[in-house]
Amino acid sequence: MKQAEQLPRPALLWIILAQGLLLLPHLERLPIWVGAVYVSAFIWRVQAFRGRVELPGRWLKVALSGAAAGGIVLSFGSLLGMEPMVAFLLTAFALKLTEMRSRKDAYIVVFLGYFVCLTAFLFSQGLLMVLYALLLIWVLTTALVSIHRPAARLRDLRPLRLSGAMLLQAFPLMLVLFFLFPRIGPLWSVPLKSHTAKTGMSDTLSPGDISQLSQSAAVAFRVQFTGDIPPAQELYWRGLVMSALDGNTWRALRYFEVPPAERREPRVTTQGPSTEYSVIMEPTQQNWLYALRYANSPTSGVMELSDYRLYSPVIIENEYLYRARSWPDTPLEERIGDWRRETELRLPPETNPRTRDLARQLLARAGSPEAFVDEVLAYFRTEAFFYTLQPPLLGDADTMDRFLFETRRGFCEHYAYAFAVMARSVGIPARIVGGYLGGEINPVNRTVIVHQFDAHAWNEIWLDGQGWVRVDPTAAVAPDRILYGLERAVAAEGSFLVDSPLSPLRFRGVGWINTLRLRYDALTFEWQSWVTSFDGQAQVDFLRGVLGEISVSRSLAVLLGSGVLTMGLVSLLLFRDRRRIPRPAFEQELHRYQQVLWRRGLEPIAGETPAQLTERAVERWPGQEEQISSLYRALASLVYGGRHSYVDQQRQLREMRRRVRSLTFLH
Amino acid sequence: MSAPGKALIDTAVNEVASVLLGKEPQVRLALCCLLADGHLLIEDLPGMGKTTLSHALAQVLGLSYKRVQFTSDLLPADILGLSIYHREDNSFRFHPGPVFTQVLLADEINRSTPRTQSALLEAMAERQVTLEGETRELPEPFFVIATQNPLEQSGTYPLPESQLDRFLMRIELGYPAPGAEREMLRSMGQSLKQMSLRRCIDEAQLKQIRQAVDGVHASDSLLDYIQRIAGRSRQGGEFAVGLSPRGVLALLKSAKTWALMDDRDHVLPDDVQAVLPAVTAHRLQPGGSFSGDGLALVALLHREVDVV
Repeated sequence: MKQAEQLPRPALLWIILAQGLLLLPHLERLPIWVGAVYVSAFIWRVQAFRGRVELPGRWLKVALSGAAAGGIVLSFGSLLGMEPMVAFLLTAFALKLTEMRSRKDAYIVVFLGYFVCLTAFLFSQGLLMVLYALLLIWVLTTALVSIHRPAARLRDLRPLRLSGAMLLQAFPLMLVLFFLFPRIGPLWSVPLKSHTAKTGMSDTLSPGDISQLSQSAAVAFRVQFTGDIPPAQELYWRGLVMSALDGNTWRALRYFEVPPAERREPRVTTQGPSTEYSVIMEPTQQNWLYALRYANSPTSGVMELSDYRLYSPVIIENEYLYRARSWPDTPLEERIGDWRRETELRLPPETNPRTRDLARQLLARAGSPEAFVDEVLAYFRTEAFFYTLQPPLLGDADTMDRFLFETRRGFCEHYAYAFAVMARSVGIPARIVGGYLGGEINPVNRTVIVHQFDAHAWNEIWLDGQGWVRVDPTAAVAPDRILYGLERAVAAEGSFLVDSPLSPLRFRGVGWINTLRLRYDALTFEWQSWVTSFDGQAQVDFLRGVLGEISVSRSLAVLLGSGVLTMGLVSLLLFRDRRRIPRPAFEQELHRYQQVLWRRGLEPIAGETPAQLTERAVERWPGQEEQISSLYRALASLVYGGRHSYVDQQRQLREMRRRVRSLTFLH
Repeated sequence: MSAPGKALIDTAVNEVASVLLGKEPQVRLALCCLLADGHLLIEDLPGMGKTTLSHALAQVLGLSYKRVQFTSDLLPADILGLSIYHREDNSFRFHPGPVFTQVLLADEINRSTPRTQSALLEAMAERQVTLEGETRELPEPFFVIATQNPLEQSGTYPLPESQLDRFLMRIELGYPAPGAEREMLRSMGQSLKQMSLRRCIDEAQLKQIRQAVDGVHASDSLLDYIQRIAGRSRQGGEFAVGLSPRGVLALLKSAKTWALMDDRDHVLPDDVQAVLPAVTAHRLQPGGSFSGDGLALVALLHREVDVV
């Protein structure tokens, strides 16, 4: 094991530590045997270092790699996709340890480590993850430093300090690169879509979908209003408009189902007051955005659709920030086209006959469409309907008949579904809107946090002269849901977040936990608005704000200029510490050394040299002999000594000051 | 410090001190003076061991050694040498005087006339002798160890300041300590009679030591201290004359040698203070208002100049 000995022991341990830490954030996504591979690789490498075992030969390595690939395929069903790829990379990374013989191999492992560190961001870009990644980078850099420290002691933490200092020096440049370096789109693209289903709205809606979604305490998006936050019952975040009913499933219209003439948003004359806000969405892997009704977005890249929704042509794979302005009182589509009317009235033929009968009776009693709405809502209110997170299953056919006349227990989507069917069956254009309702107000930074359990479905019906009007049948059954949120509405049932017993949201009653949670959430919001949502477009906007007009030469000048400026500042700081200090500074310290001892009771003697004074001081304080005489020696060699390194003189001076000061406490 | 270490110098000091009991500090200073390539003046009453010291120093350095007893009728030619007519080949031939040696002991230098004194002092400064228009080099190394009686003694011609300046150091021996004197009495001065000391430092080592002296570092802070001393000696009524630039240089060189003897590569104020009396006392003259000798002036410098 001659070659293995070339690697200093601390370097090996730092590398192993780094590998273990790199594995940690992935652990929940990995099959358990990957962890076992890591532990075995660690043991193997350490035993090899101690000369107990040999590192694997070539054929064994081939066999191990094959086994790893096979294991990944067995565990994930495929090698393709983000999780299996990352798992494969991590397993190979562990095996790499067992072929790390020379210093060169150690470099490869460390550099690979930097890359592995980045893979954690494929899954989360939260603040905690970033802090953890910084820790990882620190440990990796320490490993890199200690590769160059042969025969260092194990407990020598200087590499840790050195690498920390190096990273701090690199920090300003990192900021410059982050904010100014052009975001070049990828030259090729790998399928990033994760296998794990993201919780969130989908563009189809069947009974039971939203109640399932409401089990999740995950954050859907965060909103910051420029003005006052509107009351909770006004916060209907529209995301999806579902106009088509296929069998038992409502869905949004597909692009090609809409005739070209109808694809553009109809002209809207805004009315009434408006509110402005910015939204940071968690990744949804979908295209639609959430906004209050009727919204416009100044953010470039956000489109408006014919059903007055905001839409991003690019799938939201990362946290996404957009601004929006809403005019809630604006009438929408006062005149409706034939195609639109027809589409919004279409029902699968011969389904739910009892529901249709009921609707006809209610219309007959009401007389007008407006009164019909009140009749239906009154029906929900007066009959024995229940609002529940755990609705019974309804089967596949005539589901609304079963719901309205048998089970009568449902969540918002059941009521919206039933309302839409009833309205359409009597010739009133109606559709289901999916999105979120309400949200939690974070008092720390005045943001509205919308969770997945705020998911909601309601209706829009078209009335002559009024356009599309929002109707929320859930309000008739469970007014608490609209006014106070889901938790209050299902309080009697006790079903709120039953599946997430440890969610901090369940501990809202405990003051400090809640404060902590809200503070962290506020921090997350800042983090998202400044960092994770800073994409290519945001960069362009930012540069435009600074430069006015963007040109290649200007951007280049800003990039280079800031780079040179930051590096210049860093070098200046470094240079400051290496600057030679005029000798009188150290002489002054020697003088202060004398003064301190005089003040401590040693009578000054004319013409006494510091050496003689030191002798007297040592006699006076025999216990502190080492402290005093070593300080004197250090000072004397700085003042009178010949050979000096001019490196770190600032630090030496600070240290001398500190030590001289400490003489004041001699006893 | 390279080959000639502190141990070597310590051996030499001990060797000399073994015949000059209880005088180790003076021995050290004397050796320091010679290692610094300077001439040494030993001043004391008769019978205090001046001759013994100079003789012992020459022996431990293993150098050729001649001794001249200065008297009032000594002539320059008696020291420098002269050309004598030879009848056989009908020519003058130069007979070198005792000055052509490595160590010259000039005993009781202040008993001779100024004319003779200055002949020697010229040789000390130039390290060469010019006679009858012909310049002759003196051997290398060349030390003069001069002894003199205190000036108050009768029949003396005091050396002028300008000539005292040529001596790097002046030391006094003083009476021996009671213990040391007792020991000397017990042995009835045996050690003095059959004095034959081991050679401790050879010529090559001496050369190395002298080179090493030049390599000893004197920091700006230390030079400041020396300049403060010089500055103080040049102002105020206590001093008739201050330290000459040659005196300041002598102080630095002696301090460097002292540091080297202490095995250090840089000079401390302590080194300056150690050699200060020996180097400066004979160069300082009390001014009108001051009632004390050179040593009192040195004490004043020591006291009144801030070290740091």
